[in-house]
Amino acid sequence: MEILIYGTINSVALALYALGFAMVYGVSRLPNFAHGALYVLSGFITWSFLNSLGLNYLISILLAMLATGLIGALIYQFVLIRVRGMEISEIMASYAIGLAILEGLRWGGFKGMTYTLPAFISGSTEIAGIPVDYQRLLVVGIGIAVVGLLWLFTRYTRIGLALRGMAQDERAAMMLGIDSDLMAVTAMGFGSMLAALAAVLLLPLGNIVVESGYNILILAIAVCIVGGLGSWMGAVLAAFLIGFAQILTVVYLGSHFQMVVALAAIILTLIIKPSGLFGRQKELEERV
Amino acid sequence: MLEAKGLMVFYENMLALNNIDIKCEAGQIVGVFGANSAGKSTLMYTLSGIMQDIKKKEEMSGGERITVMGEVKYQNETITDLKPSQRARKGIVLCPERRRIFSESSVLENLKIGAYLATRSQAKYTLEYVFKLFPALEKLKKRIGGFLSGGEQQMLAIGRALMAQPKVLLLDEPLLGLSPLMQATLILATREIRDEMNISIIITEQYARPVMPIVDYAFILENGSAVMEGTKEELMDNRDIRAAYFGVEESYT
Repeated sequence: MEILIYGTINSVALALYALGFAMVYGVSRLPNFAHGALYVLSGFITWSFLNSLGLNYLISILLAMLATGLIGALIYQFVLIRVRGMEISEIMASYAIGLAILEGLRWGGFKGMTYTLPAFISGSTEIAGIPVDYQRLLVVGIGIAVVGLLWLFTRYTRIGLALRGMAQDERAAMMLGIDSDLMAVTAMGFGSMLAALAAVLLLPLGNIVVESGYNILILAIAVCIVGGLGSWMGAVLAAFLIGFAQILTVVYLGSHFQMVVALAAIILTLIIKPSGLFGRQKELEERV
Repeated sequence: MLEAKGLMVFYENMLALNNIDIKCEAGQIVGVFGANSAGKSTLMYTLSGIMQDIKKKEEMSGGERITVMGEVKYQNETITDLKPSQRARKGIVLCPERRRIFSESSVLENLKIGAYLATRSQAKYTLEYVFKLFPALEKLKKRIGGFLSGGEQQMLAIGRALMAQPKVLLLDEPLLGLSPLMQATLILATREIRDEMNISIIITEQYARPVMPIVDYAFILENGSAVMEGTKEELMDNRDIRAAYFGVEESYT
C-alpha cells in the first residue's frame, strides 16, 4: 500500500518534470537541456517574489510561472533559433544556457539549504493507515489535472492543434499557414511554464538547491527517452514506469539507488528499443 | 493572379528550373506536366515558399547550396521572399506530393489543423463542403490518418488544404499511384473546387491524359525547362506531345 501511494506520487512528480521537456521536443525537435535550470530558476523567482517583494504566495507563483515562460521564449527567440536543426549545437547551446543559469544562481548567492518554499496547505492525513501530507496529494491532483488540460488543449484549441500538426510534420504544417518559428517559441514558453509549475508544486517538499537542476534534467530526459521522444502520452506512461521502479528500489535496496534507476532506464531503453515505448521512429510506412 | 518570372533554381550546380515563366489567372486550372525530375515539385516548392525553408535548413546543416533567382508575384505583389506561412495567409496553399497528412491524427483532426487560418464560421462551412465533396471522408472521420488508403489520404490532403482557405491551390501530383477510378474522382473534384469555391488551381502530373480535360492552360517541363506551353487544344494538336504525355502512339506518315 505504501508502495502504491508513494509510487503514484513519485510518478506524477516525474511526469511533471518531463512534460515541459517532452512538449518542447515534440513540437520543435529541440532537446531543451536548460529545462532543469528553468525549474530551479522558477523556484528562486518564486522565493524572491515571496520574501524580497513580500507578495502573496499565489500571486508570486503565477508571476514566477509567467516570468519563466517568458524567459524560455526569450532563450529560444534570441539563442536557440540560430542553431535550430543542428542537433549537436542545440544540445550544447541549451546546456550552456542551463549551466549559466544554475552557476549564475550559485554565484549570486543562492546556495545552501536555507531556501524553502512553504507548502500550500500544511498538515497531513492518512490513507489506509499511511500518513500522506496534503502537499503531496495536491501534487497528484494538479498533476493529473495538468495532463488532462494539456490533452484538451492540444485537441480542441487552434494553437494546440497547430502545435500537434507541427509535431507530426513541420513542413506540412507550414503549407497550411502555421508559422514554425512562432509555434516553436510558443512551445518553449509553455514548456518553461510547465517546468515552473512542477517547481512550485514540488519544491515545497524540500529545499531549493541549485544542484537539483541537473537531477531534474536527467530525470526528465530518462522519462522522455523511455516514453519515446516527442510522445507526450508516452512520457506520462514512462513516468509511472520509472516512478514505481524508483520507489521499489528505495523500499528494497536503499534510497541512493533512485538516480541509478533513471540512468539504467535510459541505457536499457536505448539498447532494447531505441525509439522508446511510443517513439516516432516507428512511423507507419508510407503508402504509395 | 499567381505568376513567376524568370524562375531559376540551382541545387549546387545542377539546374533544377531553367528560366521558367508561368502564370495562373483567376479561376483557371493550369497544368504542369513532366517526367520525374523535370522540376515539377521544385516549381511547386518555389511557388509556395517551402523552398525558402528547405534552403534555410540545408544552409544550417551544411548541406546542399540552393540558389533561387527570379520573381514570384501574387496579385501584382512580389512575394519572392515571403515565408510559406505568410504566403498561405495570402491564399497560396500547397497540397504536397505524397500527401504528407498528419498520420497520428484522425481525419477530423487533420482537417481541424488545416483550419488554422480559417475563422470559426469559415472552418465550419469548409468542413461541410469537404464532406460534401468527398462523402467517403465523412464516414472515416474518426479513422487515424496513417491507416487510410492512398486515395483516401489524397482526398484528406486536398480537404485539409481547402480548410486553409486558399485562393490559389497548388496540387503536386495528386494522382500519384492511384487507381483510374480514384483518379477520375479526384479530377472531377478538382474541377468542382474551381467552379464552386472559385479557387485557381495549379496541378502537376507526370501523365497528362487524365488531367488534360479539366485544364485551361498547360506547361510541359523537361529537365527544368518549359519546352512547350499552350491551351489544351494547342497541346493536343501537337503530335510529339501526344505521343510523349498522352500515350497516344501514331505512325508518322
